[in-house]
Amino acid sequence: MAQIFPVWTNKIPVYIAAGTIILVLAIVGFFWYYGSPWYTDVGYRPAQPVRYSHKLHAGDLGIDCRYCHYDVEVSAVANIPPTQICMNCHKTIGTDNERLLPVRESWSSGVPIQWVRVHQLPDFAYFDHSAHLRAGVGCVSCHGNVANMEIVELKKPLSMGWCLDCHRNPDTQLRPRNEITNMNWTPPADQVQFARKVRSENNIAPPEDCSGCHR
Amino acid sequence: MKSDSPKGREYWKSLDHPAETPEFQEFLHREFPQGASELNELNDPVSRRSFLSLMGASIAMAGLAGCRRPVEKIIPYVVAPEEIIPGVPNYYATTMPFMGNAFGLIVESHEGRPTKIEGNPDHPATLGRSNTFIQGSILDLYDPDRSKAVLHEGRQSSWNDFVTFWRNLYDKYAQDRGRGLAILVEPFSSPTLSRLAHLFRTTFPEARWAAYEPLGNENEYTGVRLATGLNLQPIYHFDKAEVILSLDSDFVYAGSDNIRNAKGFIDGRRVSSERDGMNRLYMIESSFSNTGALADHRLRIPSALVGAFAAALALELQAQGVVIRDNGVLGPFSRHEFDRDWIRILAADLIRARGKSLVIAGGDQPAPVHALVHVMNSALGNIGNAVAFHEISDSELSSIESLKTLVDDVKSKRITTLAILGGNPIYNAPADLNFAEALKEIEHTIHLSSHVDETSGAVEWHVPMAHYLESWGDARSIHGAISVIQPLIAPLYGGAGSVEVLSLLTTGSDARGYDIVRETWQKIISNGDFETEWRRVLHDGLLKGIASPAVNAPIDEASVFAQIGSSPFNRELPTRDNLEIAFRPSLTIYDGRFANNAWLQELPDFQTKISWDNVALMSPATAKQLGLNNSDIAALEYRGRKLEAPIWILPGHADNSVTLHLGYGRKFGGRVADDVGFNAYLLRVSSAPCFDRGLTIAGTGQTYKIVTTQNHHSMEGRPIIREATLEHYREHPAFANEGHEIPPLYTLASNHKISEQYQWGMAIDLNVCIGCNACTVACQSENNIPVVGKEQVGRGREMHWIRVDRYFNGDLADPEIVHQPVPCMHCENAPCEEVCPVTASLHDHEGLNLQVYNRCIGTRYCSNNCPYKVRRFNFFNYTSKTPESAKMVFNPDVTVRSRGVMEKCTYCLQRINAAKITARSESRTVRDGEFTTACAQACPTEAIVFGNVADPESRASKMKMQNRNYGMLAEYNTKPRTTYLARLRNPNPLLEEFEKKQA
Repeated sequence: MAQIFPVWTNKIPVYIAAGTIILVLAIVGFFWYYGSPWYTDVGYRPAQPVRYSHKLHAGDLGIDCRYCHYDVEVSAVANIPPTQICMNCHKTIGTDNERLLPVRESWSSGVPIQWVRVHQLPDFAYFDHSAHLRAGVGCVSCHGNVANMEIVELKKPLSMGWCLDCHRNPDTQLRPRNEITNMNWTPPADQVQFARKVRSENNIAPPEDCSGCHR
Repeated sequence: MKSDSPKGREYWKSLDHPAETPEFQEFLHREFPQGASELNELNDPVSRRSFLSLMGASIAMAGLAGCRRPVEKIIPYVVAPEEIIPGVPNYYATTMPFMGNAFGLIVESHEGRPTKIEGNPDHPATLGRSNTFIQGSILDLYDPDRSKAVLHEGRQSSWNDFVTFWRNLYDKYAQDRGRGLAILVEPFSSPTLSRLAHLFRTTFPEARWAAYEPLGNENEYTGVRLATGLNLQPIYHFDKAEVILSLDSDFVYAGSDNIRNAKGFIDGRRVSSERDGMNRLYMIESSFSNTGALADHRLRIPSALVGAFAAALALELQAQGVVIRDNGVLGPFSRHEFDRDWIRILAADLIRARGKSLVIAGGDQPAPVHALVHVMNSALGNIGNAVAFHEISDSELSSIESLKTLVDDVKSKRITTLAILGGNPIYNAPADLNFAEALKEIEHTIHLSSHVDETSGAVEWHVPMAHYLESWGDARSIHGAISVIQPLIAPLYGGAGSVEVLSLLTTGSDARGYDIVRETWQKIISNGDFETEWRRVLHDGLLKGIASPAVNAPIDEASVFAQIGSSPFNRELPTRDNLEIAFRPSLTIYDGRFANNAWLQELPDFQTKISWDNVALMSPATAKQLGLNNSDIAALEYRGRKLEAPIWILPGHADNSVTLHLGYGRKFGGRVADDVGFNAYLLRVSSAPCFDRGLTIAGTGQTYKIVTTQNHHSMEGRPIIREATLEHYREHPAFANEGHEIPPLYTLASNHKISEQYQWGMAIDLNVCIGCNACTVACQSENNIPVVGKEQVGRGREMHWIRVDRYFNGDLADPEIVHQPVPCMHCENAPCEEVCPVTASLHDHEGLNLQVYNRCIGTRYCSNNCPYKVRRFNFFNYTSKTPESAKMVFNPDVTVRSRGVMEKCTYCLQRINAAKITARSESRTVRDGEFTTACAQACPTEAIVFGNVADPESRASKMKMQNRNYGMLAEYNTKPRTTYLARLRNPNPLLEEFEKKQA
């Protein structure tokens, strides 16, 4: 009597077992990674409606961050500049530059430019720019060296673990308040001593409680 | 439930409670009542099981589509407004015109969007405090059901068309001196409206002018006129009174000056040690009011007998040597139904405190009762002390008579055009006037209202009315303080203010509210540069240094007693077949104007704890006589008018008297208001707008589903309320903690790390809490607390973070009431924290018990283990149902919670953080009183004090150091951060002895 099943079918249980293991591992791994704080949007670099270059403005021309993001020291949110700020200069500079067309359109029509958000925190996390600047945390600590960016890119994970790293040990990130917007500031050799001195002088104790950021 | 307080008092929450009914047991023993975890929303047939199978499928479908984060846009300004810093709220002063008074406010605005209202500390009517109506009024601004367009015969039209229409008529009426023209306004107190009204009357001298609102203070003013011959405003200084007698007056909550009165009254009761004194309140009333709950002695009598009581008291005062020249009018009142000894002791107490006593009559009582009260106050030397009369100016007072004349004119075809500015007369005018029929007789009708309501549907022109937060105007408080109503936002739905419409009607030209108001103020601001002073008024919220002068008005006893003699007070008791019917404003939605306000609809009534309905209230004895029980539908018949209403038994209500709350049963009120409760206005007639006899009640055999929160969140059989008399307190200063041993704490858990700088804590003084619920609404507004609806409240799922528990104690027929606000206790040794499997409930360094929403997985173990029942679970995504426009009221500093997470009081963490950040930016620490929680800020009597208890000098610390301080259920070693100060009463020892003998 001929065999009903050919020989190769003997391997089917093995294949099924191996396949199941791989599938399970893949599913677990998928959620393990994508559901975890290790998976972040670092490198996110969306196209913006205006091909605005931070490198040109903040880097080459050396305009201070706070010329455009002027509320950053007084408010929880660092404002995105109104069209008016662009037009302060571009009424006279680059008036026929094609890249500035959306800006001029916004200015004449009164319709705001819709920028794409790059640094996005969850709605239940309340970050305060003014508090961080006052403590002496530079822009570069969270945003990277924006003055080198042609298109703004997410450089840091902005995950809770990453926030807490610094809240638990802020010594490496503190700098004199007048150097906050300096993208090229290098920490001195006695950074830790400096940070400790500033922390005790200004009573800087970053909260590690949930209530520090979540309300 | 036994407590260890001195009298061994029994406290009970509802009639079911002492009776130990199965329903009560069920609520008590189940943390979440039957079916609470079943997933069936009102009309949602999806059960938990089918939900899971559906979910399984949709997870497979959703697959990988959700991996990418959503792209968010940032939209900056084109030209940034100078005064707006994104992320930093602005505060503006404005004024809410309400109850014939003006309430000065400070309103918080986020990027041009008003989100929270607080009282203006400089304003005499609010004194920095607020009440439920003020707190709730911000939600009305964003009401999606507000009228959005001018309607002409029900079809969409425009403001310009309306202006054209009026211009065509204007010349005709101007020529005819206004013959055939009529105007019906809501009573106001406003310099600009008053100026325009004067102009209107000069332009159209023959026009008919009427002012009506269903709950105007007409009796009060008529009473003063009767007593003094003048139109004056009585102002009460409760803080100067030692003995207070209230004749059916709910002055701490219902009167137009309720915030100031509540604060003044409570200031006379505030006790910081056993050496302090307290005022004494005697209350005579039919229903159980908030003021009645505070009374040291309370006598329940039908409203109709209050006049007779006042007369009997006046006689007794006379007998005890007070000079009252009654010309023998009071003689017949020597034979009365009341307890002679009660009246004798009361009169003696009033006389003992001569010059420092105060008698006040309620707005529902007829004018002669008010007049008699002024006679007594005058004879006791109280006028000039606790009672003062002030000039009234810029006011249009409510008058049912003027409405009646108007309707008569309409019926005799003398009116061709009627403009109704505000109000909703078809819904709330006295039923016998038949306003709806009358309206059909008129050729042109105009109605200015916020909603397309009952009246708007029956008029030719409907004009949408702007909210007070979006239109210009001005207002004068009853104390004479004048302030500008400054809009915080342009009209969301293009409405017009009453100033603009009255100006158009008067002048025939369309002017901006801003210009109209400024024109009035050009005359008001006489010193200095107008622009500077105007800006100062806008900034301060009022013109400082202006108050109406007190008038020394002698009381004309002869005319008062002539009036009482010609129509003597009723002395007949209502009977079972001839019951008393009394109309009261709803404690939550007032006369119906807040009916579409979901916060206020869901707010439980203070005494019955019923939400989303009104009921016919009666005493246990009356209900028994009539064979009725809670929730039975009864057929009410009064003067040939019939109405069906559910019955509710309120212990402490006068017998053979039935109280109906107005404002419910709307048909065109909006999605929240419609068909909630029954419309008591259908029984209200112009000759007896407040109370009358002649009601008969019969059961229908049907029942109606009433939802009440009175048994929810019960803390069974534990000494929760601690209370004593002032006398007992003086003998036992530590009574609040006597006999309450707190056992030593043995714990495995290590102690929390503690910040030395800040430790937040709260003290709630039960002695000064008036149970007004302002804290609950303020918290709802501050913390984005969702509304869940009647069906969900019935399941015990209301979301209020701070609730006000109401306990009865004593006799079923005539109990006392104690109110207790209960927020999260922020226990230092919190039971909720120990059972959370994911550490979503945990402590921070500053003593806060946190709830981390993004960790919470919804096991609800924490709530099961919470002895205070203060945790609230989001059974559904309640906020997802919030209409788009109502989302604008959300506080951007507080997370909006989603389905499946637990939430609770955070001590207004967002405010703590904001204060800490501000303090650090100024290189200092947070100062005491610099900020407070929303509940504490709203509280009219400062019963709630919040602060840093690590600082021994802070107000909260000092409150906690008082000997009345106790921790609720502290014997379980929870170490609550929210503590209570024991309640005190100050009964008259003579009367107490006498009452004891009687019992």
